[in-house]
Amino acid sequence: MGNRNEEDYNFVFKVVLIGESGVGKTNLLSRFTRNEFSHDSRTTIGVEFSTRTVMLGTAAVKAQIWDTAGLERYRAITSAYYRGAVGALLVFDLTKHQTYAVVERWLKELYDHAEATIVVMLVGNKSDLSQAREVPTDEARMFAENNGLLFLETSALDSTNVELAFETVLKEIFAKVSKQSQNSSRTSAVTLGSAQAGQELGPGEKRACCISL
Amino acid sequence: MAKSRGENGPRAPAAGGSLSGTRENLAPGPDAAAADELSSLGSDSEANGFAERRIDKFGFIVGSQGAEGALEEVPLEVLRQRESKWLDMLNNWDKWMAKKHKKIRLRCQKGIPPSLRGRAWQYLSGGKVKLQQNPGKFDELDMSPGDPKWLDVIERDLHRQFPFHEMFVSRGGHGQQDLFRVLKAYTLYRPEEGYCQAQAPIAAVLLMHMPAEQAFWCLVQICEKYLPGYYSEKLEAIQLDGEILFSLLQKVSPVAHKHLSQQKIDPLLYMTEWFMCAFARTLPWSSVLRVWDMFFCEGVKIIFRVGLVLLKHALGSPEKLKACQGQYETIEQLRSLSPKIMQEAFLVQEVVELPVTERQIEREHLIQLRRWQETRGELQCHSPPRLHGAKAILEAEPCPWPTLQPSPSIRLPPDAPLPGSKGKVKPPKQIQKAQKEQQKQAKARGQLDEPPTLSQAKAVAAAGDARPPQDMPPKDPDHQDSAPQDSAPQDSAHHRSRESLTSQESEDTYL
Repeated sequence: MGNRNEEDYNFVFKVVLIGESGVGKTNLLSRFTRNEFSHDSRTTIGVEFSTRTVMLGTAAVKAQIWDTAGLERYRAITSAYYRGAVGALLVFDLTKHQTYAVVERWLKELYDHAEATIVVMLVGNKSDLSQAREVPTDEARMFAENNGLLFLETSALDSTNVELAFETVLKEIFAKVSKQSQNSSRTSAVTLGSAQAGQELGPGEKRACCISL
Repeated sequence: MAKSRGENGPRAPAAGGSLSGTRENLAPGPDAAAADELSSLGSDSEANGFAERRIDKFGFIVGSQGAEGALEEVPLEVLRQRESKWLDMLNNWDKWMAKKHKKIRLRCQKGIPPSLRGRAWQYLSGGKVKLQQNPGKFDELDMSPGDPKWLDVIERDLHRQFPFHEMFVSRGGHGQQDLFRVLKAYTLYRPEEGYCQAQAPIAAVLLMHMPAEQAFWCLVQICEKYLPGYYSEKLEAIQLDGEILFSLLQKVSPVAHKHLSQQKIDPLLYMTEWFMCAFARTLPWSSVLRVWDMFFCEGVKIIFRVGLVLLKHALGSPEKLKACQGQYETIEQLRSLSPKIMQEAFLVQEVVELPVTERQIEREHLIQLRRWQETRGELQCHSPPRLHGAKAILEAEPCPWPTLQPSPSIRLPPDAPLPGSKGKVKPPKQIQKAQKEQQKQAKARGQLDEPPTLSQAKAVAAAGDARPPQDMPPKDPDHQDSAPQDSAPQDSAHHRSRESLTSQESEDTYL
């Protein structure tokens, strides 16, 4: 998956990171968009996001990754957060079983707020801490399969599978978008959601489309 | 402070002592001291081992938190003068609060001298009074085992607050320990509230200026008087304030307001961290301190004003909006604010001059509350009304008001009871007293045509704690005020300051 000039893109895909506090959402974000990791990244309060433009085939896709507080209390203020999201990474810490045990609750939260067609990947983060593992890979993978979720184990610390995780989700979104445009009539296949980050670009500029699946 | 907490390691909760949720196991060895040095340096930026760190005057590693450019150096003589003025105020706090509050406000706007900031914040917030009213309480909470559910979350956050500040950089260091103690104590003090992550940066800022016990009581005041409901379940208060902010923006900057409307950007997408952390994570540090100086004095309206100023200057003109074609770009713009906007002198000036009052905020609050009730039903969390600053907080204290002196312009007969010299909570008396004070002031001005309204006095009295007062603390030397028969020089000083006694102008400390 190559990189592209940030200014030049065909699509914008909004992807949200969700999961319990401390599982590593913020570091997954920084690893993917800036190739950075910090043991002491600040507690997320409110909303953070970052972007990275990548090539999927011949299309330039701007991935807009959103990150927010995982603490239960913040569930009350997240509807704006989910609006227009086409992908989600549901992250748990594979060294803390408690963060995996609540995955179903997160899924419910997700489906309550986001489009039903949203692409979801279950991510078991902190794979570098193999000795401290509390969630068996197979168990999580089974759960993902049974619930129609993609699945990967990652380490934001040593970068394992981070690219792959985002790439997979973006490709899946892209595939859905392509299918949608094939299935629909000659009129524009992509629906511009009201709260999207899409924009009308001037002539000569690449058209960026916000996707609502 | 020779507590036994340190025995089992830096962060020993009473039960278990496991350091769950932290990355201690990544540190090279079990030796805390060695781990200390290398802690927090696993980041990519310092992969080559122990980097040399220069610390700025606020305690931050140089380069972090906008620490560059200590431009606003107050000349030393001015600083010394301010310090002696503040010392005088702090030593005669009740008099100053009662009669020269406007002067206090002005001095807070100018910035509290760093050497006295911690003390001043305690006085302004009423944290000092709270501590006096609750001797031993913090120790009791400190020694109690906390709810493991909260301890777990708190521990995960300890190394994530101001990690570039020398006080908090070391894992398990005293700063992080104290942070843990303060946050834990709060979950025990208000178990129904528990812990909200934004409390950590707030507590951390307090700890940079005062010891844990004092920081705890200031935190209590912030959570209960200044920003009630901000950290509670459901986070309703912050949502309401987001709507209020947006609504106020319409007058302050129609251009910014229109843009945010059109882009359909929910206020929560930009103001959550601003408000919940009182800008401690947004502004360069010198600006944070100035804002907090004013905030402790004047209350939440300062927070609103800062937000409005930032919005106005970030999005308030067509040129600035050119870079904000979409929702994402707009929010980006609000997250990478120009240093010019956030610079201490500029920001403070703008905030002081912005004509947004408590009344407007409260009026808007009612409007938004009604809207909420119409669209979302009743609020699930009922917080007490917020108090708009130091004066309101002081006046909301149940009787006896700590050593309030009668106005020197009226001599009481020697056997007349002093206001607040005895008695328990008596709302009618409080109202009477508020009225009496105002009448005295009106008399002093020679105007008796406008008696203070009962409702105004009632509002002040009613806004206080519903909780019964604690036992009267033993007389504190600090508060050992002289009898009404003051020495003459002091009297004339008060007489001279009569101009500042008036509450007629928009003193803005009442609803």
